[in-house]
Amino acid sequence: MSDPMDPMAEIRASFFIECEELLEALQDGLNQLEDGGEDTETINVVFRAVHSIKGGAGAFGLEALVRFAHRYETVLDEVRSNRLVPDHEALKLFFQAADHLSDLVRACRDDQPLPEETSAALLDELDKLLGDQTEEEVQPQDFTPLGVSLDLPGLSDLDDAADGSDPIPCWTIHFKPAFELYETGNEPQMLLRNLCALGEAEVSCDIGELPGLLDLKPETPHLAWTIRLTADVDEAEIRAVFEFVEGLCRLDITRDADPAAAPEAAAPAPMPDAAAEPGDPRPATPSPAPEAAPKAGSAGNSSKSVVRVDLERIERLVNLVGELVINQAMLSQSLESAGLSPHSDAMNGLEEFQRLTRDIQDSVMMIRAQPVKSLFQRMSRIVREASAAVGKEVRLITDGENTEVDKTVIERLADPLTHMIRNAVDHGLETAEARKASGKTEEGHVRLTAAHRSGRVVIEVADDGGGIDRQKVLETAVRKGLVPSDAVLSDTEIDNLLFLPGFSTAGKVSNLSGRGVGMDVVKTAIQQLGGRISIASERHRGTTFTISLPLTLAVLDGMVVDVAGETLVLPLNVVVETLSLSSEDVQMLRPGANVVRVRGGFVPIYDLGAMLGYRPVRTDFTGCIVLLISLDDGHRAALVIDGIQDQRQVVIKGLDDSFYRAPGIAAATILGDGQIALILDPADIIAGNGPIRVPDRSLKEKRADHG
Amino acid sequence: MSDTLVLQPRLDISAADPLAQALRTRLGSDLTVDARDVTHLGAMCLQVLLSAAQTVRRAGHRFTLANASDRVLEQLGSMGFTPETLAEGRT
Repeated sequence: MSDPMDPMAEIRASFFIECEELLEALQDGLNQLEDGGEDTETINVVFRAVHSIKGGAGAFGLEALVRFAHRYETVLDEVRSNRLVPDHEALKLFFQAADHLSDLVRACRDDQPLPEETSAALLDELDKLLGDQTEEEVQPQDFTPLGVSLDLPGLSDLDDAADGSDPIPCWTIHFKPAFELYETGNEPQMLLRNLCALGEAEVSCDIGELPGLLDLKPETPHLAWTIRLTADVDEAEIRAVFEFVEGLCRLDITRDADPAAAPEAAAPAPMPDAAAEPGDPRPATPSPAPEAAPKAGSAGNSSKSVVRVDLERIERLVNLVGELVINQAMLSQSLESAGLSPHSDAMNGLEEFQRLTRDIQDSVMMIRAQPVKSLFQRMSRIVREASAAVGKEVRLITDGENTEVDKTVIERLADPLTHMIRNAVDHGLETAEARKASGKTEEGHVRLTAAHRSGRVVIEVADDGGGIDRQKVLETAVRKGLVPSDAVLSDTEIDNLLFLPGFSTAGKVSNLSGRGVGMDVVKTAIQQLGGRISIASERHRGTTFTISLPLTLAVLDGMVVDVAGETLVLPLNVVVETLSLSSEDVQMLRPGANVVRVRGGFVPIYDLGAMLGYRPVRTDFTGCIVLLISLDDGHRAALVIDGIQDQRQVVIKGLDDSFYRAPGIAAATILGDGQIALILDPADIIAGNGPIRVPDRSLKEKRADHG
Repeated sequence: MSDTLVLQPRLDISAADPLAQALRTRLGSDLTVDARDVTHLGAMCLQVLLSAAQTVRRAGHRFTLANASDRVLEQLGSMGFTPETLAEGRT
């Protein structure tokens, strides 16, 4: 037989996946609470998330997790029952506890040592919340030990009139917890209270053969309870109360002969659930539970049905689709070379084929796409920790959490984004005093947004801090020899100095950022994702970093062009228009620096053939074809090429690390004829010819732009 | 001759054994357990208290639960007890 451990390991793994979802829900709920969501459902969601983690952890014997979740849950329960109104500090603590809970979950998952001291410290804090509350608590109104209202005929009449159903049913529930129930952190008291909340309940405890204190083993439970519950619920709802302790207790539920049932109520109109007719005690078999339980579950949360698929399988699918695209390109090429008429059936069929391929591709990419929410939630933790470390009050505002991005992109964004967030908190925002002095709120804001914009994902990290001190940046850069001391740089160029390796303006190295990992690492990471990063900063108003990423790392809509006999691919989304140059269009600023007049503006010319080293610099551009491209940062450029072949989808094949990372080259692809073509990164091409080495050129560019 | 034991604030499962130990040394006289600090009274500790109440009463002494806060009253109530029934060791 197969290893008996295997199914268990699988269940365990799915528990941890579920935990991730629950933790996400927990974070969401806490965020809503923080935003002043007074909705009672919110706190219920938060409570349930912790409770479910506890329940699952109990089943797997993860005691530390159970212990922590239990105490956390106890406090949340106080909030839920309106006995504790969480203030700002309490919410902060809840967030910390949620963070810690996720640490614990991960530690349990990876069998890492558990951070017990943090647990203890947080639990103390949590208990303090309870302790403070004892004075001002009020007797909750929902518990009434005796079901007196049963005798009021008016009530049952009213009920009958309202929905025409049977009189309120009466249930007898026997409940005897086993030791395991206690051991897993569950508390009969809580269960009983939840049961009482269903309706009128009369609880009596069966002490049974309770031994004398000297003989009592404190860990052996003797108590059992009998609850007479009068409530308009079905058995499944009662069982749902005991959902998490199933198998950890003895539970008998019996429906009684209804005391309020007048003789005439028994006879007419049997309702759908008339199996439980008055006077007919329902058998207390557990069998109705399984069929009824899913119903209760689906009523509770109308979540979409989801299939969990191994990522590897999706990767395979993505690769196959990539091959399909290449294959389709090959087919179309061979049909073309066979000299078929473009109106022939074969060509029409091919067109349809092409459309389907694209649909398949989009669908496959959508499978891999995930909302950036999980990433953003991680960032909110970073903000909390970073702001605590530097002693600033910071609020993270997120927007566009449901923007979907390729899963691999999300994973690889975590590090750069973490760094940027830390930077924003540490360097971007001023201290509370400085903020106050300049008339801002003491609490700094960091805004993290994601959005889809023209086929790309744009993620922004913005702070409302002091903005970039350009004077200081320039001085630092000159001092470090990164730019010549007489360089005249535009604001954008100065901002971009931040991305140079070895640059740091922080006067002192704090333990948060400035540990030698600079923005250059961030930039490299983003570029490896095929993305770009740009800065916009306004003194005293704040700084915004904008990351723009391709939606997927696998396929690109490209323009296939010829340059000096080589085939190159340019991302289609940057191409604005194509021009054929005449002699009067081009104006030379100085040798090697030309601009082209386009619709009254001037755009610098970049000769691709020369820049990539395919041929010497050309002096006469007459008759050349140029692609006018426009970048995310608003820069425009005219790239000189020899000819345009086609517009088509290409499959991106990453260049291995063993290749030299040539400036301007993003990746490669395989074309329909089997030829390999390089994919260009236009921003990199222009930057490679960039402001630092030839500062005067871009200055003129800028002026030309404005003119 | 009477003895008073001030209960711990959190009487959850981990508190049951220490509570039993503490009560065992006080079985020889009238016993008052003071619940003024208690914020949470769990079933396991309830069981210990019940057993102690029965034992003390069987020995002819008095057992009293004092200073129960509203919260404790409610928790006791949800388990089907009042301070009096608890002290009498019956339901």
